[in-house]
Parts: sequence; structure tokens; C-alpha cells
Amino acid sequence: MNLIPDVEVHRPKSLEEALKHMEAPGAKPLAGGTDLIIDLREGACEARNLVDLTKVKELDYIREFGGRIRIGAMTHHTDLVASDLIRTKAQVLSEAANLVGSIQIRNLGTVGGNICNASPGADTATPLLALGAEATISSSGGVRVIPLGEFFAGPKRTSLNPGELLTELSFPTPPAGSGGAFQKLGRRKGCTLSLINIAAYVELDGDTCSEVRVAVGACAPTPVRITDVEEMLKGKKIDEAVIGEVSSACYGLVQPSQRAHSRASEEYRREMSCVLMRRALTTALERARGNK
Amino acid sequence: MKVSFQLNGKDIEVEAPGNRALLDLLRDDLGVKSVKKGCENGECGACTVLLDGAPVTSCLVLAPQVEGRAVTTIDGLVDDPFMVKLRQAFLEDGAIQCGFCTPGVLISSYALLKGNPKPTADEVKKAIEGNLCRCTGYVAIIKAILHASERI
Repeated sequence: MNLIPDVEVHRPKSLEEALKHMEAPGAKPLAGGTDLIIDLREGACEARNLVDLTKVKELDYIREFGGRIRIGAMTHHTDLVASDLIRTKAQVLSEAANLVGSIQIRNLGTVGGNICNASPGADTATPLLALGAEATISSSGGVRVIPLGEFFAGPKRTSLNPGELLTELSFPTPPAGSGGAFQKLGRRKGCTLSLINIAAYVELDGDTCSEVRVAVGACAPTPVRITDVEEMLKGKKIDEAVIGEVSSACYGLVQPSQRAHSRASEEYRREMSCVLMRRALTTALERARGNK
Repeated sequence: MKVSFQLNGKDIEVEAPGNRALLDLLRDDLGVKSVKKGCENGECGACTVLLDGAPVTSCLVLAPQVEGRAVTTIDGLVDDPFMVKLRQAFLEDGAIQCGFCTPGVLISSYALLKGNPKPTADEVKKAIEGNLCRCTGYVAIIKAILHASERI
């Protein structure tokens, strides 16, 4: 087995201290390590300075404030799953977090790490896109907030500049009449990577779909919203028949990798995007109807 | 760098380079051989230990990250009533064949029963989804964990 290369590990106790360490050349944040340590072993990533965020407790929180649900970047998947706030207000995220890796991985891995690793199939990325999330990015120079969609720059690439840290993910608190659902297809049920995943979020005004966001993972270089599907639903009466029609349009709207060595064929992912979209939207609609 | 942490209830301080995985620190520097090295990818679960009471794969933790925290292996749970019950059930139900996965499976099962003493079969399956066993086909393991829970 490969060895982890020599690396210096810094252990800041505050965000301020962490941001200072992030200014060092070749500095990389170490959150849960469940992707980073594997990448280091395999030589897929180089880092001379690791900034271990384990002790930066101020980045570990889930709270509702100013009409938004705010999640610190160092929040573990296990804590997302256990959170009553997330389960009751943002079930789509709760469901997705519960399907990341295994218990061991969910105890180590963080939502910020999952987003920064920027895998096209990252399980927490699609629900956060569907919830309309924004990313808060901090550096010694200040703070900026961008839509999550702009955070992803390509497979395993983000729009973070050197010295910057993702510190928070937040989204508007979903109102009454809203519902969301997550669908994941892997090679097996447990401890598996997404061949494709889909998150859907709808808001109802009577029978009318007043707001809708859907996102797909592992079907493009980054996790992405499918705005064409959203436009077909927004402002329209929505029911199971409409969902069936709209979902079959996914076939031509997703852009899965054509690489021969990817985990599933392009054709299969296109077919399954329709199936998962139908399931996700159907469940989201059911939940929205039940959410008085 | 110096790392101070609690191992199986005892405070220790060790010198560990930044690139040392907790798994290697435990096995090679501290002689805790019950923690097995399998995939080093976080997939097989043979290296599972408790970190502050929660099961984690020790191959994906760097030694400096355990500063000030508590690491527990099956060696620290020898006389723990939950572990005694689990061990007994594993032996009776034939849940151990080659034994390589057993310490990790026991840690995951222990964490499950501590938080949920009366799990359903589905909850047991979810709790051990991160532990691969290539001998038993899991049936005997699931049965043993349920048996142990009946005795708690």
C-alpha cells in the first residue's frame, strides 16, 4: 500500500488561526479526511501543509437564523442525520447525509469536506443545490457568499482561491407547503458511491408548483441543477402525470461522462436519471402536500 | 510532533509524524494488533476503532487529529458487559470464521448497542454496512448481534 507523503500538520483552535495557516504555500484544509487521506496515499493530491480543522469548533453547528438554516462546514454527516431541524425542515438533506459512505465515514466526514472535494457525485451537493444553498467563503481578507452552483468548477475542482476556506452552507428555511426528496443509485445499498443521484425540492400553492429546484449528481463534470425540468414545472399545476412527462425529458438533459472506465455507462445513467427524477419528484410532492 | 490522547482509558503521549495514520500508530508504534489493516481506503472497516465513542476507520485518521481525544479498541472493552455479551453471542452463533473482520465488527456492533440496545435486523445491517466480512455472509453476524441485544 502507498504511504502518505511527508506533510506538516497544523492544528489551529480558531477560524482566525486556521485562515492564517491557509496562507502558507501548498496549504490544504483537512476536515474529515475521508477523501483527502485516500488522495494523499494515492498521490492524487499534493499538500505540504495540512490545516487540520478538527479543533475549530466554531465551524461545527446547525442553526436557524435570519430565515435561513445555517450549517457550519465542519458539521459531520452523522450530525446532519441526527438533527431534528434538518429532518423536519430539510428532509432531502437528511436523507442524503444518511447515505454517505458507512457509519464510520459519516462519523468522520463533514458536509464542508464533501462539498470541497467536489466529486461530481457528492451526495450532499445535490440536496444543497435543490435547497437553493449558498456557500460562505472566508479568508484573512474577508468573507464572500456565492451560490453553491458557482462553487463547483469541475470534477474535484472548486472556485476557492488560495488561502480561502469554505466556512458555511446556508439555505432559506423551507416554508410550509414545501417538500424534498433524495434518490441515489449505487452498485449496492450500503457504503456505496453514487452512479447517479437526484434531489428534488418543490413548494406548493394549492395544486400549483410555485417553486421547484432539481439537481443531479454524477451526470456532469459537477453536481448541477436541471433548470429545463424546473421551467417545465414552475407555475404549473403539478401531479403524478405531469411528473411522469417531465421526468422522461431528463434523458436528453443530463450529460453523463462518456468515459469507458466510469462507474456506469452513459446510456444507463440517462435512463436512470428519468427513473430517479420521477421518484424524487413524486416523493417531494407527497411531502409538500403533507406539510401544512 | 507530540500527540497526547487517551488510549483505552489511559492517558498517553507519543511522538508521531504528521503523515502517520492512526491505524499505523496503533499497530506499529503502540502494538495494538487487534486493529487490522485491510483496504486503507475506509471501505472494509477492519481498522474500526471508537473515537470519542463513535466508530471510525482508523486508516482515514491522521495521528495528530486525535490530540486530546479518546481512542478505544476492543482491548479496552474486554470486561465491558456489552462487549462480553457480544463476544459470547459471536462464539455461540458461529459469527467468526477467519476472524480478520471480527474486531471491527465488534466495535461497530458495540457502538450500535450502546446507542440502541434493542435494534431491529435492519438497524443491525445499517450499523455494520461499513464492515466487510468475506467468510460468514453476514447471516451469523446479524443473528449474533440480535442475540446479544436480547441479553442486555
